[in-house]
This record gives sequence, C-alpha cells and structure tokens, in this order.
Amino acid sequence: MARLSGLQRAVLALYRQCLRESRKKPENVQAHFKAFARREFEKSIGLDKKDFSAIEYLMRKGQRQLEIYASPGIKDIR
Amino acid sequence: METVTGATTTGAVPPTQTTTVKEPAADPDSKIKTFHIDRWSPDEPSTKPRIQIYTLDPNRTGPMMLDALIRIKNEVDPTLTFRRSCREGICGSCAMNIDGAVSQPTPRQKARSNPLPHTYVVKDIVPDLTQFYKQYKSIKPYLQRSTPAPDGKEYRQSKEERKKLDGLYECILCACCSTSCPSYWWNSDEYLGPAVLMQSYRWLADSRDEHKEERKAQLDNSMSLYRCHTILNCSRTCPKGLNPGYAIAEIKKAMAF
Repeated sequence: MARLSGLQRAVLALYRQCLRESRKKPENVQAHFKAFARREFEKSIGLDKKDFSAIEYLMRKGQRQLEIYASPGIKDIR
Repeated sequence: METVTGATTTGAVPPTQTTTVKEPAADPDSKIKTFHIDRWSPDEPSTKPRIQIYTLDPNRTGPMMLDALIRIKNEVDPTLTFRRSCREGICGSCAMNIDGAVSQPTPRQKARSNPLPHTYVVKDIVPDLTQFYKQYKSIKPYLQRSTPAPDGKEYRQSKEERKKLDGLYECILCACCSTSCPSYWWNSDEYLGPAVLMQSYRWLADSRDEHKEERKAQLDNSMSLYRCHTILNCSRTCPKGLNPGYAIAEIKKAMAF
C-alpha cells in the first residue's frame, strides 16, 4: 500500500480510538461496540478520497459520537 | 442553483411541494421578497452547499424573518431546517446570519439567511454549538463557596451588589456575539469568546461567589481572555442589547490588580 496521507492516518487513528474505547467496556458488550464502529465507518466507505469536506464532516461527527459513547455510563449498544 | 417560487405556474415544483396559497403573479409594483437561504444536507455530505432562492409575498407573512422561514417550510419546502423556539426573540434558538449581520430573526425586511459565521453546520442553517457549550461549562458557571452562609439560610446580598449583575444575567447564550467576533473566528478553540467571558464576569462580579482567585487564575494565560482586542462587534450585535465588550474590559481591569 502506498504511503498513507495525513487525512487517511487521521481516519485510521479515529477508528483505533473507537476500538480502544470499546475495550474499556464490560467484556460481554465489547463486540457490540466494535461492530457499531465498523458499521459506521463502512457506511461511508465509498467516499472519494479527495472529498475533503465530506471526510472532515464525517470525522467530526465520529469524534462527537465517540465522546458520547466513551462515557462510563454507556453500558451497551445495539 | 435551484429556484423554488411560491407560484405553482412553472410546473417545475413537484406536486408534493405545491403551495396551497396562490401567490400573485410577478407584478412590478408588488413587493415580493426573495429569500436566499444556505442549504446543505448531512445525508449527502459529498454535495456542495448551495443557496436556494424562495419568493414570498411579505403582505401575507408575519413581519419577522422567522415567520418567512416557517412559511417557506410549511408551504414551499418542508426540508428546510432551522432551530426555533419562542418566536419572539427571547430564547436565542434561531440565531443566524441575516444579510451579513448576526442576530435573531426579529423585525427586519432582509432577505439573505446564512448560518452563524465560522461555525460548523449540522444542516441548512443549524450551527454546531458544542464547542461553545463546552467553553461555557469550562468557566464553571455556578456559585462556588467554601464557607456556609453566615445565618445558615440564604447567601445574602445587598441591592447595590445585586445591581452589579444587571446586564450580565440576561444573557441567553444565543452565541450571536461570539460568532460575530473575528478574534473568535480565528481562535475559537482557545479564546473563550465574548458570551462565555461575560458569564465568567457575571460570576466574578457576584458578591456571593468565593472562588474569585481560582476564576481569575483560569483566565490568566495568553489565549482565554487576552485574544480580545476590543473589536466590539459583540456589543453591536447582541440581540438583547447587552454589552459583552464592557464586561470583558472589567475582567481585564480585575486581572490587572
């Protein structure tokens, strides 16, 4: 794979953060959070890699969602 | 650029969006107002934001920009999205950029409507204010005391001390001032902005609060407070007629001693 651009690295970093937060949840629900993160990222997998505004918008949205779901009160996601 | 008019004669508007009110035909003497409104949908993030033009007869609509927007949403284009609540200029939900001036859509005959400047947009003219709210939370906008009340019941305050809070407590956190401040445009992640700073002063000036030194220490860096260069767009644009610029000057004075 060619060198990843800064934006691609940022998207991957966000995904890694989602996975890290999933590991902090109770054992039995970790898979739910990981599946949710995967689904959300896969929704926009067809985006053109040069469509910066759309990518940045989705990243901001993802960041906001991550902040909400990472809070310790959230125990499960369906 | 699409043009959606109130009249149904063009046939370009799909049947589900035809208006039930027959607007008069284009008459050179009639004052049909056109509204150029920013549109963008997060459901298709790849599409570019665009300006959509609507025409309405102002005689049949209420006097405010918000009335026009509501009418457009009801009759012409139900997909238009905006925040609104009190419809009388008291809650600050509908704060937006009208003809270049940031305010709430109260009695004016202006025709361009854009979201609050330099904010991320959730949809159409709805701005994303999460940063603004986080900054408000960071100044701890609640009474902080270390000692209990002297008589065990209320925290008492004289009339003069209460008077100091006039012009500060009425802030409705509509974000008009912060989003009209060029300094806040360029530094919104670190500069707190006039709205939050005015609330910070509201707690500094409150005689019942006992954590003044901590509050001042929190502002004692180069960015949170001192990005204010007295541009004073904030005081000019406040829809409630408050004076954030003055409050910030008072904070700077308090910090100097």
